[in-house]
Amino acid sequence: MAGEINEAVEHSVGAHAGFALSLAGLDRKVLYTTRSKFIGSFLLVALLVGLVSIYTGRQLLNRTVLSQTESRVSLDLNAAQKIYQGQVDTVLKTVTTAALDKEFQDLIKKDETEKLSMKLRALAERGGLDFLGVASPEGIVISRARPAVHAKPGKTPGYYNPLVEYVLKHGSSIGGTVVLEPSFLMAEDPDLVKQARTTLVPTSMAAPRPEKEELAGMAMGAGSGLYEGKKLIGVLYGGQLLNGNHSFVDGVRDALFQNDMYEGRSIGVTTIFLGDTRISSNACSPGGKRAIGTRASEKVRSTVLDRGGRWTDRAFVVTDWYLTAYEPIIDIFGKRVGMLATAVLEAKYRDVQQRALIPLVFVTIAGMLVAISMGFFLSNRITKPIRALIAASRKVSEGNFAPEIGPRSKDEMGVLQKTFVEMLASLQERDKRQSMESEIKLLQSEKQASIGRLAAGVAHEINNPLTGVLTFTHMLLRRKDIDEAMKEDLTIIAKATERVRTIVKGLLEFSRETILEREPADLNELVASAVKLVENSALVKGVKLSFRPTQSLPLRRVDKSAMQGVILNIIMNALDATSKGGSILVTTSVVDFGKTIEIGVSDTGHGIAPQDLEKIFEPFFTTKDVGQGTGLGLSVSLGIVERHGGSIHVESALHKGSAFIVRLPSGDEDEH
Amino acid sequence: MCGSHQEMRMNTRKILVVDDDPTVLHCCQRILEPEDYHVSCVPSADDAFDNLEMGYFDLMIMDVKMPEQDGFYLLRKVREKWPLDRFLELPVLVMTGYPTQETLRELKKGGARQIISKPFTPDELLAAVKIALERSKRNGEEKSIGD
Repeated sequence: MAGEINEAVEHSVGAHAGFALSLAGLDRKVLYTTRSKFIGSFLLVALLVGLVSIYTGRQLLNRTVLSQTESRVSLDLNAAQKIYQGQVDTVLKTVTTAALDKEFQDLIKKDETEKLSMKLRALAERGGLDFLGVASPEGIVISRARPAVHAKPGKTPGYYNPLVEYVLKHGSSIGGTVVLEPSFLMAEDPDLVKQARTTLVPTSMAAPRPEKEELAGMAMGAGSGLYEGKKLIGVLYGGQLLNGNHSFVDGVRDALFQNDMYEGRSIGVTTIFLGDTRISSNACSPGGKRAIGTRASEKVRSTVLDRGGRWTDRAFVVTDWYLTAYEPIIDIFGKRVGMLATAVLEAKYRDVQQRALIPLVFVTIAGMLVAISMGFFLSNRITKPIRALIAASRKVSEGNFAPEIGPRSKDEMGVLQKTFVEMLASLQERDKRQSMESEIKLLQSEKQASIGRLAAGVAHEINNPLTGVLTFTHMLLRRKDIDEAMKEDLTIIAKATERVRTIVKGLLEFSRETILEREPADLNELVASAVKLVENSALVKGVKLSFRPTQSLPLRRVDKSAMQGVILNIIMNALDATSKGGSILVTTSVVDFGKTIEIGVSDTGHGIAPQDLEKIFEPFFTTKDVGQGTGLGLSVSLGIVERHGGSIHVESALHKGSAFIVRLPSGDEDEH
Repeated sequence: MCGSHQEMRMNTRKILVVDDDPTVLHCCQRILEPEDYHVSCVPSADDAFDNLEMGYFDLMIMDVKMPEQDGFYLLRKVREKWPLDRFLELPVLVMTGYPTQETLRELKKGGARQIISKPFTPDELLAAVKIALERSKRNGEEKSIGD
């Protein structure tokens, strides 16, 4: 028995262990998921915040840098214009100062062209002028600093001198930008034609232009009248050709950007356009050559040249993106003839911007790291009690009902922990109760089994000697040569032995699990036959025995002889308990909506003491006098009824009587 | 061994009693001999089998629970040696002090004719013997099952 129990316990522990194992695998996965969910959410938030701040920062920086750069470019252009104007003023001053020279007047009056030419040449070299000449009040050039071989002094067909024209027309000195026709240049100095000639480079964004070359020149020029007293005797004119003359643009660049370089490129660029064609620039083509002959885009041209506005924007200049500013150049007649432009390399500012973003990126990464560790920490904090609970439940499944569940939390987890502990308590209680109940059951069945074994042993050992006693008593009784006294004694021996036989038989019946042989039976008939068996004894004793059967009793499968024995036993007990004048009523009935058959035996006997009531079904318990009962009848009866799926109920009042009710389910589905 | 061949009459029935308890053997002898049965008593299953091989018996009365070989063994051996389809049945009356349903069913299956539970009175034993022998009579002519 004990072995079996151990086995059962081991079995259940094994099952629990298996459950715990699978639980361990499961919860590890679950916890990992919880943790990754936490970390993931935190990370997502950090990433979003980081990205948004990077994006916003970038936009802000972009706007700031762009506007700053734009204003810088604008300022640069203003400065460039001032320098340009300053250069023009220098040219004007040179010319007007020279015009005041008395020597010029003398030489003109004397018509000494050779000497005049020499003086002009000296003056041009001193003043850095590309061309310098004197014209008559009629507008015919008298002398030039570099007289061309084929261009004799005097009126040349197609020759147009805008400076002389202006001075003669307005009667005042003039300094400014002029566009010079090739014929003028040719007349002044053949080298100037070469210098002015610009090969046009096809430019995708520019307005289409059929010519292949730009032959005109653009110059800063000045003209001043030569007076003798109040009389105009000539006009002195001169100027610097801007085409191919990079000293001006380089000077502007050096003045504005102090030779600031970025990755081998100058960050500042100054360009002079004739019309929309670059004639002087320090923007360089990929080969490192100055980008002369390339043209401004259509948009710029129309804004600046056609409408006279200022252009400020990003522009792709030759090879790089620049922030550019364009302003029209207006000649002495007020016509827009060209453009002055400054540009700043965008890449440098882009880099500045990008560098400014680096801290933001770092902050974002740091935020993400913080998010990961926060997620890890928090998930750990939250899942810690859960893990403790899981470990605790594993311990519970191993049989420990008071496992450590870790420190109590104050949140919902605390409620869970509390519930868990309460659950453990009730589990433990149930477990205790169950084990107590099973212990009682075990004790009972052990008791029953030992009684059974005892009975079997006793029966076997006693039966043989009993056979001897019985045989020889009866053999002696048969003899004719014994006297009456001896015969009486022998009869007592025989009766006593019969009693022993009955006790042993009862013991055996109690101990063995006989197989019930069931067949459909009319219980009324069965009870009636049992009543009939006792009728005589009742009559003798003076007890009124009556049977009141119900009419509608269904057939039920029972072991007829066993069940009859049960009824008989109960009726005989009633008869034993009832004294003369009493009565016994046996009834059959169907109750519980036809589900239960009841056989009742009630008497007006001495009743059962309350303290005995619970013992009457115990084997060997009897209140009868020695020799009157074995104490096995009711326990055997109960066993039989229970094996039929039924039960026996007793109600009793001391000195008033008892009622035994055998209840059998009317169905047969309970067969064992 | 009880009784003798010389005293045997023609209509005397020969009964073999097997029990390990001498008291029971003695009882059987005392009950049956006055009723004109010829009784041979042996204390074990093996002795009984030897006796059956040696001579003719009208009935065997045997105990179930015996040390060494029990009644079931004896019954099985008898049925093996003299199968019912080839030899006349040797009726067997079984005495048992522990007549459970299972035991009874198994004994019947093994070929026991009649079962009597111990202890018994002389009248009970005589009645059981009579019934067992009557049944055997109905079975057919008396014919030895031995060689």
